[in-house]
Amino acid sequence: MSTRDNHTAVASPTRSPSLLSRSLARLDPVGVLGLVLTIAIWHVIATLQGRVVPSPLAVANEIVSNFFVAPTFRYYGIADAGYLDAILYTTSNVLMATAAGGVIGIIFGLMTARRRLLRSAFDPIFSTLSTIPIFIAAPFLLLWFGVNRFSAVVIVALYVMTIVYVYAQRALYNLQPIYEQYARTLGANERRLFTDILVPGTLPEILGGLRIALAGAWGLAAISELIGSQRGAGKVIQSLANSVDVKGIFCVLLLLGITATLIDWCLALGIGRLTSWANQAGSKDD
Amino acid sequence: MNRVQGNNGWVGLLALIGLALVWQLASMLVTVEITPGVPMVPGWQVVLTSTFVSMSNFWMGGFGIPAASAGTEPSYGVALLSVLFNSLDTFRRLLLGCFIGGGLGFILGLLLSLSQWTNRLVGPTMRFVRTLPLLAMIPLFQLWFGIADFGMVTFIAYGVGVILFTSVLNAVPRIAPIYLANARCLGASPWRLFRTVTIPAILPEVRSAAVIAMGVAWAAALGAEYLGAQSGLGRIVVASEAFGYLDRMFLTAVIIVLYAAGSTYLLDRAFARVLQWG
Repeated sequence: MSTRDNHTAVASPTRSPSLLSRSLARLDPVGVLGLVLTIAIWHVIATLQGRVVPSPLAVANEIVSNFFVAPTFRYYGIADAGYLDAILYTTSNVLMATAAGGVIGIIFGLMTARRRLLRSAFDPIFSTLSTIPIFIAAPFLLLWFGVNRFSAVVIVALYVMTIVYVYAQRALYNLQPIYEQYARTLGANERRLFTDILVPGTLPEILGGLRIALAGAWGLAAISELIGSQRGAGKVIQSLANSVDVKGIFCVLLLLGITATLIDWCLALGIGRLTSWANQAGSKDD
Repeated sequence: MNRVQGNNGWVGLLALIGLALVWQLASMLVTVEITPGVPMVPGWQVVLTSTFVSMSNFWMGGFGIPAASAGTEPSYGVALLSVLFNSLDTFRRLLLGCFIGGGLGFILGLLLSLSQWTNRLVGPTMRFVRTLPLLAMIPLFQLWFGIADFGMVTFIAYGVGVILFTSVLNAVPRIAPIYLANARCLGASPWRLFRTVTIPAILPEVRSAAVIAMGVAWAAALGAEYLGAQSGLGRIVVASEAFGYLDRMFLTAVIIVLYAAGSTYLLDRAFARVLQWG
């Protein structure tokens, strides 16, 4: 899985002063150099193929000048709110869908983890749902529920649900029964068992699954907008493609990537804080 | 992941049959029609008869049977041919894309992981590239590489390649140093170390990446066809959607799910055979 291996570093006994300095310390100068080199290569390609590949500078310029309001959008038939509006719309769709799909996925995953009959019944259904390519699922939901925001969120939530379901199920399934037995011998009741054993035992893995689902949700949300929506990043990409505006497409894709990275980074920090027990000795690989 | 108690396959089969029956029940309860003669929820008695025959409309001609546009009467035989040949078109693009992208991604990932420096150099950038929403890049690929087969195969190859490439980049630095040290102590040459330690050690991680990539490849193939192909299953969907033929979309969806689930299963079995030691 493509996650930064921030769990491999065991928390050092001396806590560094701030989150920011710790994350800066994690930055690999060699990696930064690679990023700079990539941008340089991109620039060279742009000078050779200027007609189809916009230069990094031109893209940065475009983002800055049309961030809040983009008058050119009006010619493409979309509201002239800029890139910010499109990205915000998509981001809120993604977050709503991840929350809704995540909750349903967790409930079903935990419910089926220890009941073989239920698991045998639900696994094929969920995996069938997850194999329907979005370009097939989206038109259906749009025809059924109409072209609106609800459909767009439901499409993404479905996929998030199928991914989180697998992780939640696996987390509880792999939880060693010894923990529960030990807690029971110490006289824990059902409620204590749930709050002190089951939640801490499964949360790290479930949240890891949520991160993976979130990473995939961006593309799905963009596609559901591209097929049927009046706003959002997908709609902007489609309109720009119709008028062969490669620079604009680059801007939207880059902004989506940056937003996805930032939100993933916040989530990773939050998970690290929330489930600090998982990063101590015997840290799990995600 | 070895389950102590595997799933019961019969229950799973029953569940899927139950799902099909629920669909049938819904088709009886919801009798709204999208266009005259096309129900909102098409029941199986419609999907497997008139809908299937209507697939003849996507027959492009061949074997001495003229294309649907040239006036061939729809029939079960022509419909079957049409489904087969449109499937073959999709399969051809998918497999080409998977082989080119998967092969390049795997080999490049290994080459750049030969040294810790190159791995660190490209790692962060590639992880960022992986966050770019793949399906939203279809319009870009169409503008760059055209909407013909070349553009579609390039797009599928890119999607599959990025996933495998990043998985190899992530997996190589995580190999337990003891394996490498042990092999070196026993006098393994760099090439032999690579062949007998590095590659086997990363295969489990590559396996899960490959299974994910297979699903992505289907989504990419369908998306590329949906947004501009002249043949293939994706085109059937978009052509049906344009006229509100929900029943044809549903039949195509069922066919695609069977293909995608089947190919993912086969790929996973193939890896399981290679990874028997695990």
